Amino acid sequence: MDKNKSAPINLGALINKTDLIITIVLIIIISVLWFETKNFEKASDLFANNIPAEMFPQILLIVILGMVLVLPFEHLLLKKNKKDIDSNRKKSIPNTTLFTMLLLTVIVAFSEILGAILTMIAICAALPIYWKEYRAKVLILYIIFFPLSVVFLFNFVLGVYFEPGLLEYILN
Amino acid sequence: MEDVVKGLGLLLEFENIILILGGVLIGVLVGALPGLSSPMAIALLIPFTISLEPVAAISMMAALYCAGTFGGSITAILINAPGAPPAVATALDGYPMAKNGEPGRALGLAAVASVLGGIFSLIVFIFAAPLLASVALEFGPAEYFGLAIFALSMLASMSGISSIRNLISGLTGVLLGTIGIHLTTGVERFTFNIGELEEGISFVPVLIGLFAVSELFKQSEKLNNVVERIHAKALKLPTWKELNKLKYTILRSSGIGTFIGILPAEGSTVAAIMGYNEARRWSKNKELFGKGSPEGIVGPEAANNAAAGGAMVPTLALGIPGSGSTALILAALIMHGFRPGPYLISETPEFVYAIFGAMLIANFGFLFIGLVGAKFFSLIAFIPRKLLWPAVFVFSMIGSYSFSSSMFDVWIMLAAGLLGYFMDRHGFGAAPLVMGLILGKLVEESFSQSMIIYDNNFLSFFESPIVILFFVLTFFSLSSPFWSKLFFKK
Repeated sequence: MDKNKSAPINLGALINKTDLIITIVLIIIISVLWFETKNFEKASDLFANNIPAEMFPQILLIVILGMVLVLPFEHLLLKKNKKDIDSNRKKSIPNTTLFTMLLLTVIVAFSEILGAILTMIAICAALPIYWKEYRAKVLILYIIFFPLSVVFLFNFVLGVYFEPGLLEYILN
Repeated sequence: MEDVVKGLGLLLEFENIILILGGVLIGVLVGALPGLSSPMAIALLIPFTISLEPVAAISMMAALYCAGTFGGSITAILINAPGAPPAVATALDGYPMAKNGEPGRALGLAAVASVLGGIFSLIVFIFAAPLLASVALEFGPAEYFGLAIFALSMLASMSGISSIRNLISGLTGVLLGTIGIHLTTGVERFTFNIGELEEGISFVPVLIGLFAVSELFKQSEKLNNVVERIHAKALKLPTWKELNKLKYTILRSSGIGTFIGILPAEGSTVAAIMGYNEARRWSKNKELFGKGSPEGIVGPEAANNAAAGGAMVPTLALGIPGSGSTALILAALIMHGFRPGPYLISETPEFVYAIFGAMLIANFGFLFIGLVGAKFFSLIAFIPRKLLWPAVFVFSMIGSYSFSSSMFDVWIMLAAGLLGYFMDRHGFGAAPLVMGLILGKLVEESFSQSMIIYDNNFLSFFESPIVILFFVLTFFSLSSPFWSKLFFKK
């Protein structure tokens, strides 16, 4: 008996689950943006001859939507070309990467309070220590001299203005 | 001729020469460091060069772009870790030759082939760019719209896992370009009542985020990778006899590279792979490929450097970027107040010749740097990543902030970095998004102007034979995955 003929169509194999989730997320974003285009203000009569401001973004959203709908099935086409869309995402995102993202977001959030110099010191200290760089001498030299040389180069030589912060407040 | 002399005159100021050599040095450095890339370095450089004279700033970036392509080959040959994607094909024979005890010879072949490929493409550039620009001067808004649509469609064939995802990225870039006040109607679009968005998203933080910060997140997954290095005492230049044997391979690859580079959106990586494949196909010693064949080194090297020069042709002559790096150079040109495209060549030809001169100097510059510093550059791959990437983030923050002294731009950079990381994970390229962002204004402006001229009648686009030609090319470009199988079946 021909196994292929008798086998039921496996919907699970037709659709890539990760891409289905991406498609749903993208459709939500596209819908939100579409409704936003409906809320664009009306152009003044002076510009009545021009095409409406929402027309071009709406065309783009429709074209993008058309392509997004193909995504869950694209893995079938790619497989034929011996490409594996899941090769890069088989493993879950490592905790190191997620925490690095979080750490940098926190540092950026506090950078206005910290000021430029302390922010640089925080980046140069927090990331290597989190990444298990434990050579104390190397680390201390790096934390002190790298930010200082950056300040010297950009502030004194190139004239880039660095926002003052906590350090300057304490010193003054 | 007068313009050539003027252009070279602009270039030959002491400060400009130093900046070009600085660009070469940075290019070779970032090229040699796995993870760092020329687009990333150009993105980081843009905010710091904005106060420089335009000739100096753009020349420095063009030099960095040329040298970055070669820099990637050093680590490809010595540690089998291509510093940049275009050097992937070089590693296939470069590393085996180095392992066979001839690292200096492999580096020498790569350097000379790169220089020759680069010079070949610059000769084409100097003749083709003004010619292309003179044709483009006749273009109206409709023709420009056709050209921009064709350039966007070429994103489908850009290197990456999926054509559809490249196109989605490119169109998302175009969509991002619509944020802010619509120039022809004065209507705010997608600003969500955020004041900073009224002028649109600035290129710099997006570029830095997509190329530098997202790479930091990727690299945080592989901080402890250990590499084995082959010691190279010096670079050994090939003899005339050896070069004579390889001349057809170099010439063929240079031609392929220049052609691929000229095509919008096609970059050095595709050129290098094609250069390698063609070198193998025409070789009398196919069995040596993969074991240290000289043709396997000069083929991709001549092609990837030729593509760098080739990519500058559409960038400067049409305002259509030929690759990810040239998209950034294009962004820098716009920030310096230039209007890239045919008017750049017709109104300021000396500027274009100055860039040509800078790229020529860069080609000899990296040969010299390669000759004296190969040993040093093979060592820089060993800079601890745990210290390198925090430094990259510091530069990213300073670059994003200093451009308009706004913390909002730093947040945009971080958001772009996160977006770039997740896009890459799911097969969406960052380079197509950047190209879409940069092409976006041209697409919308030319579309709006055409619609006004044609009284909102879409069919009028088909009245121009040039527009029809671009639409046909777009159709072929988008359908290439289907018809290429028919024509190139084994």
